[in-house]
Parts: sequence; structure tokens; C-alpha cells
Amino acid sequence: MFKRIRLRLRDMKTVSQLISGADQQANILGEEEPAAEHFVLSALNLSDGTAKRVFDRIGANPDNFLSAIKQQYTDALSSVGINHDAIETDPEPIENSKLFHNSKPSGQAVMKSLYVSKQGDKDRPLLGAHVVAVAADMEFGIVARALKAMGIDRSQLAKAARDELDSA
Amino acid sequence: MPNKNSLPSSDNPEEALAAVVALRAMAEQLERKAVKSAITQGWSWSQVAEALGVTKQAAHKRHATSIKKQKTTQ
Repeated sequence: MFKRIRLRLRDMKTVSQLISGADQQANILGEEEPAAEHFVLSALNLSDGTAKRVFDRIGANPDNFLSAIKQQYTDALSSVGINHDAIETDPEPIENSKLFHNSKPSGQAVMKSLYVSKQGDKDRPLLGAHVVAVAADMEFGIVARALKAMGIDRSQLAKAARDELDSA
Repeated sequence: MPNKNSLPSSDNPEEALAAVVALRAMAEQLERKAVKSAITQGWSWSQVAEALGVTKQAAHKRHATSIKKQKTTQ
């Protein structure tokens, strides 16, 4: 009983850190609202370290995820004949003074999937590896393309996330 | 403007949609920089709005806070 309450309180703290971290990552990259990729970046910064270990398990460097996000933009623009490096549109960090948090649809999808995932996993605290597991299941979008740019197979990453959670 | 022939084929919607997302992000960054530059050069919000094809309220709501903050931190 008390263990459940303690876990619940810990999860609430983790959710708060995850959301504020995602907001921060989005703002650093010049975006007002966080999307799925910003939640992954935020999970990689969580102190439990499990998100980073998921990448380690498959021999990928988690620190390369940010540059992979940029790479997938460069690749997508080059497919329409635009040389991203030749134009000055690098994002400028923005300051956000919104009182109420909102996410882009992919960010909302991450939070919804996290909730569902945690419903079936009530004995473990919410960890960064849960976020990676949810993000690895997203077939399309920036996270999927960034993982592809890193040469990561999503199903392999999802399996590594489950293994990390089992060993946590 | 890229040649229409260089656009991703409609047979490959994944690539085409990825390009749409990247173009939107690029347009957003370009808009932010251009508005900041215009306001710094003394343009009014009405002029910025007219150039962007949006209402003055929409332009102001979208950009005023970040521009004000950047000015006060300079």
C-alpha cells in the first residue's frame, strides 16, 4: 500500500521533470511546444539513466540523437532540392512564458502511450526507458526518421527498452 | 524555388511528408528571424502583418513576446 503511494509520488515527480525537460528542449531548438523527439531528449536527461542505457544496449550513442534530429531535417530538405547547410535557418532558442503546458500531437501521443504503458506496469517507477519504449513504437514522424538516421532498428530499440525495464 | 521534377514522388508519401514537415520548420524559423529583423528596423506590427498576409493581432500574438524578451535582455 505504502509502496504504491511512494511509487505514485515518485512517478508524479518524474512526469513533471519529463515535461519541463521536453519544454526546455523544444525551446532550445526554437519550438514553442514539445513533440515526441523532445520527450526522448528529456528522457535521456533523466537521472535514472535508463534511457541512455537502452541506446547503449544496442551499441548506439544516445548523445547522437540530437544531431540525428537535425540530420533528418537536412535529408528531408535535400529530397526537395534544398541544401539546408547553404541557408541560414538554424533555429534560435526561444523563451516561452506560457503558464499552461501544451504539446504537439506527437508529444501528446507519447504521454498517452506512457499512461497506458504504466497502467500495465504499476510495480515499477516511471523511467526514461519507458519513454524510449513508447517512442520506438512510433512508426512515422521525426523520432522514427532520427532513429533511422542513426542506423537504429526501432524494433531492436523497443526490445532493448523492455530488457532495460526488466533489469531495472 | 525547387524544380517540380525534384519533388518526392507521390509514390513515396513517407519521403514527401517528411519534406513537408522540414519545410514547415524551415518556414517557421525564417518567419521568426524575418519578423525580428523587420521590427528591429522599425517596421510597425501592421506592416509586418500585411507582409505576412495575416492580421496584426495574429502577428503580434505570435512574435511579440519573444521579440520583447530579446530586446530587454540585450
